[in-house]
Amino acid sequence: MNFKMLTLSSMFLLVSCTTITQKEANTNPSIDHLKQKEVIPFIGNFSVNRFTLANGLRLLVVEDHSSPTLAYQTWFKVGSRDEVPGRTGLAHLFEHMMFKGTKNMKDGEFDRALEGAGAQGENAFTSRDYTAYIQEMPKDKLELIAKLEADRMVNLVINPASFKTEREVVQNERRFRTENSPDGLIYQELFGLAFQKHPYHWPVIGYQKDLENMSHKNALDFYQAYYSPNHATVVVVGDVKADEVLKTIQSHYGKLEPQETPEHSISSETAQKSPRKKELKLNIQVDKLMIGYHVPGLTHQDIPKLAVFQSILTGGKSSRLNQALVETGIATSVDAYDPDDKDPTLMIIAANLQKGKKVYEAESAILRELSKLTQETVSQAELDRAKNKINFGFYEGLESNYQKAHFLGHYEATAGDLAEGIRQQKKILDVSAANIQDIAKRYFNPNHRTVITGVKK
Amino acid sequence: MRIQGKTSRLSSFYPALFLISGLLSSATSHAYEVEFEKDKSVPIVYINVAIKGGSVTDPRGQGGLTNFMGEMLLRGTQSKTKEQIDLALDQMGARLDVEIRAEAMIFRGAVLSSQLDPYLKLLNEILTQPSFTDVEIKKLKSEMISTLQEELGHDSSLASRRFSQFLFRGHPYGNPVLGNTQDIEQLSKDQIIAHYRRLVQDKLILVIGTGDASEGKISSWSKELAAMRPNVELSAEESKLLEKVSAPKNAKSKRLLIIDKPDRTQTQINVGQIGIRMTDSDYFPLYLGNYAFGGPSFSSTLMVEIRVKRGWSYGANSSFRFGLQPRSWHLHLFPSAKDTASALGESLKLVRELKEKGISQEQFEFAQRSLANSSGFMYNTPRKRVENKLLERTLDLPDGFMKSYGPKVSKLQRDQVNNALKEFLKPDELSMTVLGTAKNLQTALAKAAGIPVEEVEVRPYTQQ
Repeated sequence: MNFKMLTLSSMFLLVSCTTITQKEANTNPSIDHLKQKEVIPFIGNFSVNRFTLANGLRLLVVEDHSSPTLAYQTWFKVGSRDEVPGRTGLAHLFEHMMFKGTKNMKDGEFDRALEGAGAQGENAFTSRDYTAYIQEMPKDKLELIAKLEADRMVNLVINPASFKTEREVVQNERRFRTENSPDGLIYQELFGLAFQKHPYHWPVIGYQKDLENMSHKNALDFYQAYYSPNHATVVVVGDVKADEVLKTIQSHYGKLEPQETPEHSISSETAQKSPRKKELKLNIQVDKLMIGYHVPGLTHQDIPKLAVFQSILTGGKSSRLNQALVETGIATSVDAYDPDDKDPTLMIIAANLQKGKKVYEAESAILRELSKLTQETVSQAELDRAKNKINFGFYEGLESNYQKAHFLGHYEATAGDLAEGIRQQKKILDVSAANIQDIAKRYFNPNHRTVITGVKK
Repeated sequence: MRIQGKTSRLSSFYPALFLISGLLSSATSHAYEVEFEKDKSVPIVYINVAIKGGSVTDPRGQGGLTNFMGEMLLRGTQSKTKEQIDLALDQMGARLDVEIRAEAMIFRGAVLSSQLDPYLKLLNEILTQPSFTDVEIKKLKSEMISTLQEELGHDSSLASRRFSQFLFRGHPYGNPVLGNTQDIEQLSKDQIIAHYRRLVQDKLILVIGTGDASEGKISSWSKELAAMRPNVELSAEESKLLEKVSAPKNAKSKRLLIIDKPDRTQTQINVGQIGIRMTDSDYFPLYLGNYAFGGPSFSSTLMVEIRVKRGWSYGANSSFRFGLQPRSWHLHLFPSAKDTASALGESLKLVRELKEKGISQEQFEFAQRSLANSSGFMYNTPRKRVENKLLERTLDLPDGFMKSYGPKVSKLQRDQVNNALKEFLKPDELSMTVLGTAKNLQTALAKAAGIPVEEVEVRPYTQQ
């Protein structure tokens, strides 16, 4: 390949084929920027200042003066659930494009401006329900980051040549996360089999064929549909003063116009009536197992109970599944993942088997333990253990500015209200042994499970 | 098991940065060193017990012994079974794991502050009264061997491990921390006990922590611990195991190993050479030079040339690994199979250009500004300060080394950086490994690497 020619070609396309979005800032200086202000208790002595600007932008600010830094995160309420068949992976691929040029900055300048200013962890991630852009900055760089983030919210330039190159990067990311990863392949198949109608059916990163067929025009349409202040929450945690942050945010975002939320109907999943199973033959030396059970979305009242249930299953080495699988020599590890998706999703139990062990042994042991939980109530000591584990994880997960911002952004974007996260944590304490038995009966019926096994090719 | 719930622009750990340490040092009646920083921001206490001896102390034929012994400590004491220990830790809402590095073993503990007293009592018992029962040895062997088998499914970590072995050519820095199947199968109880006796002794132990507890409490607990693990006399042979390893050397010419794995649509490329010590005079110039070339930045040469311009790889970076002796400098990328030879060829060209031309003034100024402005993130939280202290103590770095980055980087001149790069880089002595499907790659890779195809080594990915 002639690298020089490729570079020249890219530059030509940048100049000649640049597409600029049509979103423009409202230049009316009399606009009332602030619609609402609330103060919500958080953890310890921390509280969250929540502001809603007139254009719908949410701003969350937590003052933490322990170091002269801040975390700045922008959460958009859009993820792979907003895609349609044939365009899977668009939300994530578009996320990559957000680091390209704008009307005011050339390609690559965004990264250089932030990195030169001392940014840490500049990155982004896309999930089924949201997309987030994250950085940590020295405290005196708030103005800079607010200016750059507001700029790319409305002024992004989607160039066909850079889109094509970035699409290749994402295809490589897919090869890394899925095609050449046994766990990634199993995970993709699990959701693909458990969901038949709902967009959780397809992987966040999309299918290779859909990525191949995607154009810069698709990305542009996506941007115009979902990237606007009324779809976003800005979270700032660190050595700042809330009112000063508000002033900065107002000056950069206050004049941006809100956009209509696109009409997008999402099909509900029909209840699963019988087990679904699939075996994958892979380049692995020990077998793997993943089981999914349908559970409700993030704001459902059963979520705190499911969190305790998960902790009883795999929270710590004394947990039930660790005892039943690892201590007995069936598996080297077993984990369960409590759900945090907006819509009804899966609780996943995953095990890596020991050499020579077969997946049916692990699956039988898991079903046995789940069955026991439908027939007997857990002891108070076991319940306390599970809650202690959750309590520990909750505090440990909120130590840094980044972690606090992530918690708040996640609940605001997924549940619509950060307070939901705090409420759910408090409800953990109320979960009883009877609740656990009830959860086991209602959600862990073996007929409702989806099972993917990975065996040696 | 790694779960892909969300997908990010770039998976990468950014070692980060600010602040003035509140770490307090105190000498106990024994040689234990204790450092604890009080932090009441969340009701958790972190306690790290580090032992200055890691996987390089594994005797020949006993690969993985340090890791095995460390894991065994968590599996029973004279008065408690593994089950009782696990139950007690979970009841407290606590965590205790062991991490093995080349030159350190670290017991990483964390507990809700309300449970600190029973936790410290249990930790003391775990470290000083292990039982090493036959039942647990047998169980752990089975788990470790299966874990090694399971790792064969993870291309990135497998490629990294194989690269390390290939680069170091028998030097202890190439020893896999987990060992290998054959050695683990043959480990005996006596070998485990002997290793415990020589490693877990007063003079090799540090206690470093942070959290919602008083320094006094941690200090007095450490004194008790010290009293129970006095220094021991070692034979000459045992003492030799604990000596600092010799400095590794590069091979005399370029070498290429293909780790052959079927059905790969993507490869894992690692290219590198022997590195430097953090205390070497060229460390900071090379630290800056590496940042400009392939550091954790979307503006680095590798990222721009490999990812941004050509879309060849999701990640493209270069980094150092450090030890008491020089360890490695290497670059890592993971292109699609079809672009592998081109990506390798381009990477080698970039390394040669880096040696010959150095970095431009613009690259230098950008890297210097970025590193200086972000240097505070290296110590802006209590946990980072604890990690820094662990690094300083286990790698014999001067006190406050990790806080010196900002001022030191700010004083550098471009000539220093480019002279250091010219001296350091050895493009003709690079070790290269590519994990991929060999039949599709061997000829093209040999050409890209400038090595006769018959000199390219090919090994099945299952061969340890």
